[in-house]
Amino acid sequence: MSKISLKIKRTVKNSYTGWLFNLPLAIGIGVFTLVPVLMSLFDSFFSYDGLNNADSRIWVGMANYVRIFTKDRDMQKVVVNTLVYTIVSIPINLVASYFLALLVNSTLKGVTVYRVFYYLPCMIPAVAGGLLWADMFDGTFGLFNKFLGVFGIGPFDFFKSEDMSALVSVFIMNLWSVGGGMILWLSAFKNIGKHYYEAAILDGANAWHRLVHITIPMSSAMIFYNVITSVIGTLQYNGTLTFGTRNGRGENNALYMYAVKIYYEAFEKGKIGYASALAWLMLIVIAIVTFIMFRTSSWVFYAEEN
Amino acid sequence: MAYINLNRNAKKHKFIVNALLYALMTLLAVILLFPYAYMVSKSLMTGEEVVDPTLRLLPEVPQFKNYLRIFQNEDYLNGFIHTLIIVGSNCIIVPLSASVIAFSFAKLKWVGRGFMFAIMLGTMMLPGVVTQLSLYAIYVDLNWINTLYPFIIPNLFGGGALYIFLIRQFMLGIPRDMDNAAKIDGANAFVRYWSIVLPLCKPVLIYVVVNVFISYWGDYYGPFVYMRASYAPKTLAQVVFENSMEKDAATYNANMRMCGGVIMSIVPAILFAIFQKQLIEGVVMTGLKD
Repeated sequence: MSKISLKIKRTVKNSYTGWLFNLPLAIGIGVFTLVPVLMSLFDSFFSYDGLNNADSRIWVGMANYVRIFTKDRDMQKVVVNTLVYTIVSIPINLVASYFLALLVNSTLKGVTVYRVFYYLPCMIPAVAGGLLWADMFDGTFGLFNKFLGVFGIGPFDFFKSEDMSALVSVFIMNLWSVGGGMILWLSAFKNIGKHYYEAAILDGANAWHRLVHITIPMSSAMIFYNVITSVIGTLQYNGTLTFGTRNGRGENNALYMYAVKIYYEAFEKGKIGYASALAWLMLIVIAIVTFIMFRTSSWVFYAEEN
Repeated sequence: MAYINLNRNAKKHKFIVNALLYALMTLLAVILLFPYAYMVSKSLMTGEEVVDPTLRLLPEVPQFKNYLRIFQNEDYLNGFIHTLIIVGSNCIIVPLSASVIAFSFAKLKWVGRGFMFAIMLGTMMLPGVVTQLSLYAIYVDLNWINTLYPFIIPNLFGGGALYIFLIRQFMLGIPRDMDNAAKIDGANAFVRYWSIVLPLCKPVLIYVVVNVFISYWGDYYGPFVYMRASYAPKTLAQVVFENSMEKDAATYNANMRMCGGVIMSIVPAILFAIFQKQLIEGVVMTGLKD
């Protein structure tokens, strides 16, 4: 009896220390994550007028959500832009970084220097990158137009275009930071056992066969991880704020995407209730997309740890 | 004879393949580094050269005094100081608070540990857009809007699930014997954390500090949202951004703006050059170890 009570006493005492060390996290998650998430759900059923104006709160029920789908005229463009951006930029970046990683995944002399060169653009802060690309893409004094002008092509408006070519400019800019994905792929390649390749070479497999039958399947776990994080990250992309005109919306809303829409509704227009509804819709969409991707992930091959 | 011939052919073949590979790698490096070089070059041009309608890649005479002018500009200087305050305090706060929590997950046994760990991992999946609006309201109530507090105080409470997770993984790899020996000697949990486990975590802590530095150095969205007023302190990223959004961004003062861009970019690049190994290995750690 006393032995058991002693054990309980000790468990409680040990738990006390554990919780003490963990207390900052418990408070932090409570105050800075759980409360805000629930608050924004609450807010999404109200209408607000002004950022700091809680007095203007009026219960509107589902009206904010209904408005997203019916009354908001910008919404169609925002959704199309976000989907096009997600669907096009993710494959481009994943494939380009994959081939870049294949290229520098060798034992050639000096190959690590090239890896550093390729990764360096990722170290440039978004604001500096945005500034630089907006400059190079400028209509009259931009480097690209001057260069293309030599061949009699252009000039183009790039980020300031009123149509899809504004998004295409973003894809071009994104290729610049393809080195970030490269590093992830390289770490995946590192974990593939050399003996697979040796055996394949003995069997007479050429480089293409080795890529398709060894490298790609053996890095499928990393491919899956990259696709998931890219989708979640890309749906929330707000980088156009750093180079797009009209608060990141672009001319004729050509660059207007979902995260910027939330930013604009909340912080430029003060429609906190509507912005909260947009944010919660995003949360639901991301949850569904992630769920579907996990359910259809039977193609992923998890190598055993050795 | 035939064998030697074959060997020579194979060698020749390999040489050509390698030469092509180097050519391709160099071409890509030039393309990827060109914008960087162009930014530096343009930052050294005169005001007239910037609006030169011909295709000009290099300044006639590098104008290093452009950089002097930047450092004499009060906006840039204040921005630099504010950014340093945010970055400096987080480089101390984040590794400390994240490692305390990581210690509770890795080295202490307590009721509710698995539960808290699951919740923490759950928050990693949560999109930031869902919390930012209400965080703004909370910061309004705390009178934190247009101050530096939103970038510092919340980090006292862990500083990010990813960092906690990484430090925990690292701590799990520290042999239990060292910890147990101290326990038998009567060291309490805090002593074990501070004088045994924490010093051993140096590699992962370096990774955390460098990453914290780079992310807060370049952070633009947080300042856009929480420090909007004209009287609010501005970070360097904000000053660089606001100057880039002036009308006719590519013409008027483009050289000065590029100076700002270069200063913003050069610091992370130097950090990367120094801590290249840790950063790349750190990415490997974050990659897929679960």
